Amino acid sequence: MKIAWLFFLFLPFTWGCSESEPDYTIRFGLANAPTQLDPRYATDATSARINRLLYSRLVDFAEDATPMPSLATWVALTPTHYRFDLIEPRPPFPNGVRLSAKDVEATYTSVLAPKTASPHRGLLQNISRIETPFESTVDFFLTHPDPLFPGYVIIGILPANLIVANHPFHDHPVGSGPFLFQERPDDTRLILKRRKDAQRIEFVKVADPTVRTLKLLAGEIQLLQNDLPPELVAYLSNQPFISLQQEQGSNFAYLGFNHQDPVVGQDLVRKAIAHAINRPQIIQYVLGGRARPAQSLFPPNHWLVNSQLEGYRYDPSRARTLLQQAGFNDVKRPTLIYKTSTDPFRLRLATIIQDQLQQVGIDVSIHSHDWGTFYGDIKTGRFQMYSLAWVGLKTPDIFRQAFHSQSVPPLGVNRGRYADPITDRLIVDAEHSSERTTQQAYYGALQARLLDSLPYVPLWYEDQFALSTTAIRGYTLRSDGNYDGLLHVQWIPTPTNDTPVARQGSL
Amino acid sequence: MSHFIFKRIISALGGLLGVISLVFFLIHMIPGDPIDVMLGESALTADREALRQGLGLHLPLYEQWWKYLTALTQADFGHSLFSGRPIVDLLLERIPATLHLSIIALGVALIIALPLGLLAATRQHSMFDYGAMGFALFGMSIPNFWMGPLLILVGALWLGWFPVSGMEGWNAVVLPALTLGTAMAAILARMIRSSLLEILGEDFLRTAHAKGLSPLKATFIHALPNALLPVLTLLGLQLGGLLGGAVITETVFAWPGLGLLMIEAIQQRDYPVVQAAVLCISMTYILVNLLTDLLYAWLDPRINWQSPS
Repeated sequence: MKIAWLFFLFLPFTWGCSESEPDYTIRFGLANAPTQLDPRYATDATSARINRLLYSRLVDFAEDATPMPSLATWVALTPTHYRFDLIEPRPPFPNGVRLSAKDVEATYTSVLAPKTASPHRGLLQNISRIETPFESTVDFFLTHPDPLFPGYVIIGILPANLIVANHPFHDHPVGSGPFLFQERPDDTRLILKRRKDAQRIEFVKVADPTVRTLKLLAGEIQLLQNDLPPELVAYLSNQPFISLQQEQGSNFAYLGFNHQDPVVGQDLVRKAIAHAINRPQIIQYVLGGRARPAQSLFPPNHWLVNSQLEGYRYDPSRARTLLQQAGFNDVKRPTLIYKTSTDPFRLRLATIIQDQLQQVGIDVSIHSHDWGTFYGDIKTGRFQMYSLAWVGLKTPDIFRQAFHSQSVPPLGVNRGRYADPITDRLIVDAEHSSERTTQQAYYGALQARLLDSLPYVPLWYEDQFALSTTAIRGYTLRSDGNYDGLLHVQWIPTPTNDTPVARQGSL
Repeated sequence: MSHFIFKRIISALGGLLGVISLVFFLIHMIPGDPIDVMLGESALTADREALRQGLGLHLPLYEQWWKYLTALTQADFGHSLFSGRPIVDLLLERIPATLHLSIIALGVALIIALPLGLLAATRQHSMFDYGAMGFALFGMSIPNFWMGPLLILVGALWLGWFPVSGMEGWNAVVLPALTLGTAMAAILARMIRSSLLEILGEDFLRTAHAKGLSPLKATFIHALPNALLPVLTLLGLQLGGLLGGAVITETVFAWPGLGLLMIEAIQQRDYPVVQAAVLCISMTYILVNLLTDLLYAWLDPRINWQSPS
């Protein structure tokens, strides 16, 4: 009887018991789980990065963001007719069938079909029809010329037969990428297998940054990338069995303004704000030196960037003068509401900016909201000033989306209701020029105009960093933060580096 | 008794309807559009509208509410706006994890609270009493978001006995259960102490002592069962809270339970999942409280089934 009671007492402890065999699955800690493993629907950064591993795409980007062949080379037969030839050997799908032009056609036809409701349909609306004259050739016909078109065909290719069969790609991804889907035990875990050597990679969602750090120290995860506050990065980088990699990043952090607001709608006030923020100091002391000051949406190595641009230097006295010109003084001080998310690090940055603006005579009240509320407010224009970052920008269509007067949500992402005829004209001129050099000139002029009229105050490009246990070798970082480094990463087991850091006396 | 249960069920259903309706309207009123989260901002307006219509989000709010209630009467919780999966499946995946954690946490709380409360009451104003009540104050004052990482640091990193987070392995439950159990134990220990102190001063116990019953027997056989009655109510409420999903603890320990599901659904504005999760939590509360009342009445013969309470 007593034994029976003991059995029932300890029964709950045995729930979920499983044999834990030592394996060399590399566990990668994530702040957010991928929300969509069907590339036709993926919009968040984590999903896009993981989908790159599962699916191959026609075109990829070089480090300077110029389009480069991935699955196919291309040639513009006419300004509105692009021919893509698949490169041999073509990668196979998991069933061994090699990817063909029909798969490419089926994927893009599916994205363009209204019933699919793909969020990428808008970007590809210029495609009037798709043809496959040969087994490894796809022709895209456009409604109007666009020399940047190859940069838009970056969606992962799905097998045509499964598209027809309405296969649930999100639940069971089937692609021809370098990784195969293994299993998704729950919403917080995703296991992939590398095709070339069967190395398993498990993505583990751990929302809390402190717990993610502790998991790395305990050896429960071997690798994590970004999404940690600087003090935790500094702490981890000092641990003897953890290695830190760092790479200049392209994620653009900025302050956005509501241009219909009587205060921040004034050019002089925005310029005063730009001069009042001590970006070098914030980068050095708050971001731990892991960022570069930004002048434009695109980082300095981007092929479209205007390298002549000079940012707003920190000059509090100039900021005060500009505020006086705008009609403000010590008695009549501008008062702003600064909206941000509840992320503790973003809040910390907001309080520093609040302090720096106060020093030049601008009173700032910080309002932090959960992501959904914050994002909803930004979209509907319920803000004066906010801070956000653009992640993974590559193609110049962002200029129309973010700054054209016709792109106010829901038609685009001009959240600040910025309306400037010169900007509009430069965007249209750039889009309609068929020569790449002319386009480059227009976009250069556009960036200069944006820096002068300040729809955004550019802040910085945050660096990418990865932290791993020393057993992990061969992981390389990319400036856009993708996970392509997993293609070559290896776990090199040795007697010392297999032991969790915490039990090697480093704590 | 059946009349009593029937009345309680009717009042519970009324409360449930109120909760469902309140949550339905509140979640739709807070800023943020699920279509934005699903399609991003660059989607075409036509596609956004098509999706909105497909999900029934274009209908007036009262119509959506009525449709939702009608579906609920047929046990149809609907589908997640994001994954498209039936919500029943999502709940069935998460409830066992929450149940598992709650039962262990309750066990931990009782194992800690009972001896502490007993010692504190039977040795009032002694070192035991001050120590136990100091612990109780400590346990109640420490928030779970701090207690969790602290236990991880000691239990997982320094000692290496338990995993940092997740649900893999038999011992994964220990740290989250300790986090939850300690806070609960603190409240229970205080309740047991005060309740027991009250009982220990009663005439029937003095009589028991006068008749030669040892203090130990008198406490365990006569005092403790009586002292536990008010504790039972508190325990019911606490268990209801635990089964409803310990949001912070589940987040810290990446424990895939109901609380984590709800918090993720709120962030994504996944209305049907939030509603179903809240419904689930409310039902749990109501059920646990009903059971507590029944148990209370069964344990205390003075309580009349016919009484309005």
